[in-house]
Amino acid sequence: MGLLSILIFLPLVATLLILVLPTSAKATYKYIALGFTFLQFGLSLYLYGNFEASLGGIQQLEAYQFVEQLSWIRMDLGAIGKLEIDYLVGVDGISLPLIVLSTLVMLMGVGASWNIDKSPKGYFALLMILNTAVMGIFSALDFFLFYVFYEVMLLPLYFLIGIWGGERREYAAIKFFIYTLLGSVLMLLVIVGLYFSVINPVTGAHTFNMLHMMNPANYVDGSFFAYIANYHDIFGIPARLIGFIVLFFAFAIKVPIVPLHTWLPDAHVEAPTPVSIILAGILLKIGGYGIIRVCYSIFPDIAATTNWWLALIGVVSILYGALNALAQKDLKRMIAYSSVSHMGFVLLGIASLTAEGVSGAMFQMVSHGFLSAALFFLVGVLYDRVHDRYIYNFRGLASLMPKYTAYVAIAFFASLGLPGFSAFIGEAFVIIGAFNAESMTTGVPRWMAIGGSIGILLSAAYFLWTLQRMFFGQTRLQGGQVWKEALTDLNTREQVILFPALALALLLGIMPSLIFSNLNASVLQLIDLIQPYL
Amino acid sequence: MLCPLLAFLIQALLGKKSISGNIALVAILASTLISLFGVFLPIWNETTVLQKWAWFTIGQHTLHVGILVNNLTALMQLVVCIIALPVHIYSRAYMKGDSGIHRYWMYLSLFCFAMLGLTVSLNLLQLYIFWELVGFASYLLIGFWFTKETAAQANKKAFLINRIGDIGFLIGIALVYANCGTLDLSTLFGETSVLSSIDKNTSWVTFAGLAFFLGAMAKSAQFPLHIWLPDAMEGPTAVSSLIHAATMVAAGVFLLCTVFPLFNETVLLVITIIGTLTALSAALFALGQYDIKKVLAFSTISQLGFMMVGVGIGAWNAAMFHLTTHAFFKCLLFLSAGAVIHEMAHLKAKAQLAIDPQDLRHMGGLRHFMPKTFVCMVIASLSLAGFPLTSGYLSKDSIVITAYEWANHLGAAYMLIPILLIIVSLLTAFYIGRLIFKTFFGSFKYRSLTAAGISFHEAPKAMLIPMFFLAAGSLFPFFGISLTDYHSAWIMHTLETDSSYPTLAQAHLFIPALLTGGAILVWLIGWNWYVKQKYPLSENNVLVYFAHKQGYINEFNERVFVNGVIKLSRILYTFDRYVVDGLTKFFSWFVRQLSVVVYWFDKHIVDGLVNLAANATYYIGHLVRHVQNGQLQTYLGFALTIVVLGILYLIIK
Repeated sequence: MGLLSILIFLPLVATLLILVLPTSAKATYKYIALGFTFLQFGLSLYLYGNFEASLGGIQQLEAYQFVEQLSWIRMDLGAIGKLEIDYLVGVDGISLPLIVLSTLVMLMGVGASWNIDKSPKGYFALLMILNTAVMGIFSALDFFLFYVFYEVMLLPLYFLIGIWGGERREYAAIKFFIYTLLGSVLMLLVIVGLYFSVINPVTGAHTFNMLHMMNPANYVDGSFFAYIANYHDIFGIPARLIGFIVLFFAFAIKVPIVPLHTWLPDAHVEAPTPVSIILAGILLKIGGYGIIRVCYSIFPDIAATTNWWLALIGVVSILYGALNALAQKDLKRMIAYSSVSHMGFVLLGIASLTAEGVSGAMFQMVSHGFLSAALFFLVGVLYDRVHDRYIYNFRGLASLMPKYTAYVAIAFFASLGLPGFSAFIGEAFVIIGAFNAESMTTGVPRWMAIGGSIGILLSAAYFLWTLQRMFFGQTRLQGGQVWKEALTDLNTREQVILFPALALALLLGIMPSLIFSNLNASVLQLIDLIQPYL
Repeated sequence: MLCPLLAFLIQALLGKKSISGNIALVAILASTLISLFGVFLPIWNETTVLQKWAWFTIGQHTLHVGILVNNLTALMQLVVCIIALPVHIYSRAYMKGDSGIHRYWMYLSLFCFAMLGLTVSLNLLQLYIFWELVGFASYLLIGFWFTKETAAQANKKAFLINRIGDIGFLIGIALVYANCGTLDLSTLFGETSVLSSIDKNTSWVTFAGLAFFLGAMAKSAQFPLHIWLPDAMEGPTAVSSLIHAATMVAAGVFLLCTVFPLFNETVLLVITIIGTLTALSAALFALGQYDIKKVLAFSTISQLGFMMVGVGIGAWNAAMFHLTTHAFFKCLLFLSAGAVIHEMAHLKAKAQLAIDPQDLRHMGGLRHFMPKTFVCMVIASLSLAGFPLTSGYLSKDSIVITAYEWANHLGAAYMLIPILLIIVSLLTAFYIGRLIFKTFFGSFKYRSLTAAGISFHEAPKAMLIPMFFLAAGSLFPFFGISLTDYHSAWIMHTLETDSSYPTLAQAHLFIPALLTGGAILVWLIGWNWYVKQKYPLSENNVLVYFAHKQGYINEFNERVFVNGVIKLSRILYTFDRYVVDGLTKFFSWFVRQLSVVVYWFDKHIVDGLVNLAANATYYIGHLVRHVQNGQLQTYLGFALTIVVLGILYLIIK
């Protein structure tokens, strides 16, 4: 069993352990979860350290690292051919940074769940299943396997929001579930379509192998998704375009893009703090990852022709999300909308189809991962103490909670793209890449880059406004003296969780090469893959 | 450069324990010594030092960080150090006893680090990083007294306005990167310049130039983005003197000097026009201010306008020269004003007065109490007004005269620029005279209090010594031996620019004479108005009020931009909730309604058919059940009926 499999299935062991232990030992659950996620984090760092940065990946299996390939399901279907599903996992420069990010955010999530006392057994067991699913998604290279992990991820999230959430948790959980399911069911159709179009050149059987799907030579002529001699269309739209759109739709819900974002504010607001952290820190990244790994790599020809629209969606998301965040009165909802805005940069960067833009988008995903996690954690701190997050109900918190204010200020400034922090590198290179797109003739005009940069201005506006409104000025609280006593400064556990995230933001802001160096070969490979179709 | 960073880190770690500011002081002292002896003297007029390290690789390009020290940057960083040092010493006395003092020193060190980093950056992106960091430090320091509502508003405003400029800067960077493939200043503008091979009249060069200028406009408070600077006076006065007068606001000018080779004629003309407009409007607004610091703030804006004009007319060496001299005398003005405010605040606290210690209307006759401060302030004011024997005379004349020569070369319409500059110079003399007269002459309103035993005295030594030092720096010998000829000043000498227009000897004569004579004239008027109490205008005069309200620009912005954005965001949120989310909800409602309909169909039609069949069978069975009652007659009757029916059927058929 390779390291990657261990990484994926470690949390399942934790789940089993938690389920087996009697309820009387419930105090140990969180330590088990913590221990296993910590182990996972260490393991992912080890993988990161031993990663050979010069290998590209993307469509070449030999350039993937830590690869494991086992035949999983082989079935003779008679006339249709042979069913070939592999257990195929591996990482390249696109997936590995996200795996490290996920293990870190999971660690933060477990740390944030320290005070969960509503049936901890179920809670931690579900959390660990979620953990496995996420790791699986980022490392699966077989589309069937990918899909299995993708669906497995939904189940624990549904229950985590629906049981441990806030007042309108059921509504939010169902909305989240249905929305995501809508995307993934459609995705299944395309997967099947791809399966029947692609042939494994070695065995001659149809295959779910994603890497085979990325090679035009493996497509059966005249098949549904074939490159050449493809006469299929649906309502007059070419089949490959339809396939791309459907897959994009599935991942775009996750990103989320405007107008498919409305599940996000509800889910975030109702979810308990740790689940918000995981949602923002990991789940949204699956959308961006999927677009790169699946949409762009399997349909490079369509990617090259649709990127104008994708960039437009990105810019609209940036501006629309930022303006909506400006209108919010609930702190958590504001941060949720800010996620929409910041993830818009990811889409814009990917759609720019320049090395700078795609790298910037990847960097933005990683950076947004732990920064949004830190932001949601900070909101959770406030909510834990007074069960209120209405911005207008607080004023002058800086005098009351100086440490908390310092952390909030750093997190806010890091998120609004202050240079020296990671978000700046991400956003700046997305903008630079988008500007570069015109010289590279990838079809993204410069006004979109300017539109994106206005989003940076707006994000400063809503973060600074909140900072001034809630933390500066004379102390004045809605709940009066009771709140004043309840609002104690950060304790050690909270600082232990927050400090690494913000320190990492600073570290990556100063030394972006920590990510770029492992990323670069894969990004160039991706650009090379798409370049011929431009 | 790294010294202040270390100081910042140490103080951040020490937290509340470090209140004396010694660490910051030692750090800045070390920086000053290094920058003077280690950097400035060896570099100036000699060589260019360049050091770079690979930072990261993205795509095909590798970005470097590094240090670039040439004449321009060496000068700039020396200015920063030499101004920062006295301000540090001054702050020790000025900020004594403040409860947040540990934060103050921390922020100040952070600022010094960022500012020094900005001056020596090799790479435009690196420059941008420090550029924003100084903005961040300024944000922290403006909002130093964060419990004050106005301070919290002011720092937000300052940061947001600067963000507008930053976006311009970023777009400029992106354009340069997209077209040249590098951000390295030495490659871009060095000996073998990438730019020399580029046609400067293409539209991207114009856009990039304008974008960089937008960045400089926000940082250097150019009209109409100047509005943050007067509000920034909410910060401690020592901070205003360092950041918002001498160094940070000049960074915009420095940036323009750095990327000067990029500008084409269109951009330069825009810079000139905006600079003139700024100089004029700010000088007018300064006339109507009552807050001593706001007068100085507008004066700073106005002088920055002069520097912009210097850049715009191609004489960026004159701009740098004015930047340097301005740093000295403006810093001194602020420190002197700080000394006055300090004493007024003490008076206020002791006598329990409900006055604003910064309001000029409460001052007057202070020269009797604070003679040394008075002398310092007068020297600085003379320098600001461009009076002979001061450094300001040299640098200001250099800009005005060059502007005249430039306009003379280009044509009559351009003459408007130097004429406006001369008018602005006279206005400058007037408002600074007004400030001096109102503060130090006339009679002191609260003389009765001082007579009653509440002491009102000279500023402490720790504040005076830095002021003396700066006062010395505001005089001409510091910059050149010649009294009148700015060409011989050593800064101008080294930062030689080749001008395309001829020098006019007579301009060197009549412009200084005009300026000096005019300044004396307006001071006489000011003396009459303010000291002799022969003020001709009523306080509620529309023009005065207009100037006092800064031309209603803030109100305009508030109404149009702030409210506009807020309204837009509300509308979008409503849209989001009711239309976008409404669609989702409508969809789910639709599905549920559909399911109700389907269920009804299932229950009544599909299941109904099944039930109908069952019921029909049952009913028929029910009907024929009556026959089976065990009586022979009934059976026979039934059989007969069937037979009759059968026969009838056969007949009819």
